[in-house]
Amino acid sequence: MIFLLPVYAIILIINVPGLIKRKEWRELIAFFVFYTIAFVLGLMYVLDITIPSPMKGLNCLISDLLGLKYPKY
Amino acid sequence: MTNIEKGRISGPQLLFLVSGFVQGSVMLIDFAVGMAEKQTWMVILAGLLVSIPFVISYAALAKRFPGMNVIQINDIIYGRILGKLLSIYYIFFLFITLSFNIRDVGELYTIFLMPNTPFIFFLAVFTATCAYAVSRGIEVLARISYLFVITGIFVSISTTILLVDKMDFSNFLPLFELPFIRIFQGIHIMVSIPFGETIVFLMIIGYTNKDGNVIKNTLSGLLLGAFSLFIVAVRNTAVLGITQTIWTAPSFQSTRLIDIGTVLTRMDFLVGIAQTVLIFFKCCLFFYALLLAVSEILGLKSYMPLVLPLAGIEVIIAATVFQSPLDHAEITQNAGIIYSLPLMLVIPPLTLLIAKIRRLPESKGGKVT
Repeated sequence: MIFLLPVYAIILIINVPGLIKRKEWRELIAFFVFYTIAFVLGLMYVLDITIPSPMKGLNCLISDLLGLKYPKY
Repeated sequence: MTNIEKGRISGPQLLFLVSGFVQGSVMLIDFAVGMAEKQTWMVILAGLLVSIPFVISYAALAKRFPGMNVIQINDIIYGRILGKLLSIYYIFFLFITLSFNIRDVGELYTIFLMPNTPFIFFLAVFTATCAYAVSRGIEVLARISYLFVITGIFVSISTTILLVDKMDFSNFLPLFELPFIRIFQGIHIMVSIPFGETIVFLMIIGYTNKDGNVIKNTLSGLLLGAFSLFIVAVRNTAVLGITQTIWTAPSFQSTRLIDIGTVLTRMDFLVGIAQTVLIFFKCCLFFYALLLAVSEILGLKSYMPLVLPLAGIEVIIAATVFQSPLDHAEITQNAGIIYSLPLMLVIPPLTLLIAKIRRLPESKGGKVT
């Protein structure tokens, strides 16, 4: 947490003033969407909350539901 | 249709970009070692032969739509909705594969080099470095690409020469003793990981100069990269034999055996340096393609605002996507190589075929829609 907050504050300071100055609103919205996702994921990681792995879901779909997998040797 | 990337790369730069990218997978051939054992060299050659027509189709597709990337091409060929869906599939592939590669670096360092340092530290520092490199644009990456390629080839060849006295070529025998399914899986790994991942260049080839001869340079880069992987596989099998399957990283183990008059020893640091710079280069290209693809699909003028937030997401996904290196290997050898197959082997040749039949992009008075 000690590292997370300053890092994300710096990211905000680096990006936002320039985007507002150039009136790039679309870029600003995209930035905030990804920034929020990144911050929430970082916070979950720091607080030791389980983050669902996209690969686990994909593995379940391909290997378990569709049965597409190689045999074990 | 406006382009986010204004930079241009030359033909030889494309060659070195492809070669460095393929060499960046040198650590990942270990996934095939467990399957193919002493026939890993054969699996690399077979995987290369299978991949060549598909890689040519990537280059031919990009050549047909100069100045465009795959997101723009999908919109033209498949229409807005289906095109966007295919682009999202492509973006998912870039996103998840980048997280695997970043994780590989973390595992390399925490297992072999600095076991007491927190895993997340390596991921964060490495991704921040990639983010900085990518923010300079494709031209900078292209200009330094030859340095990475030379480093990779120098380390592969020099360590092989220094290990000649430890090599036993009977380690390659007997040939064809493994069940076909294991060889098949090994070839599948090779097609999907070092060679098939060159699909990332569908975001890059479009920015090659008109006189860049993209098919020839892409193919030459692929062959040069495959040559380096082949040397590493032959060296590891000749030195370690069947025992290479029990090591987590055979390259480290084989180079640790270098002992020239008790002066030249512990040369595994060379492998550590080479693998770090090559994976760094590969991750930069993945990250660049991901940023460009996301910005393109969202209709942004620049990818710069997304660099740091996406880097933050990648760090956390890389840290949590697998529970352990064993989990990593198990999933990569199955679902990891199966889900990307349509993207690598079906969609690009199909797109090229549709473009040829519909005579795109020239069909509307020579103008791109």
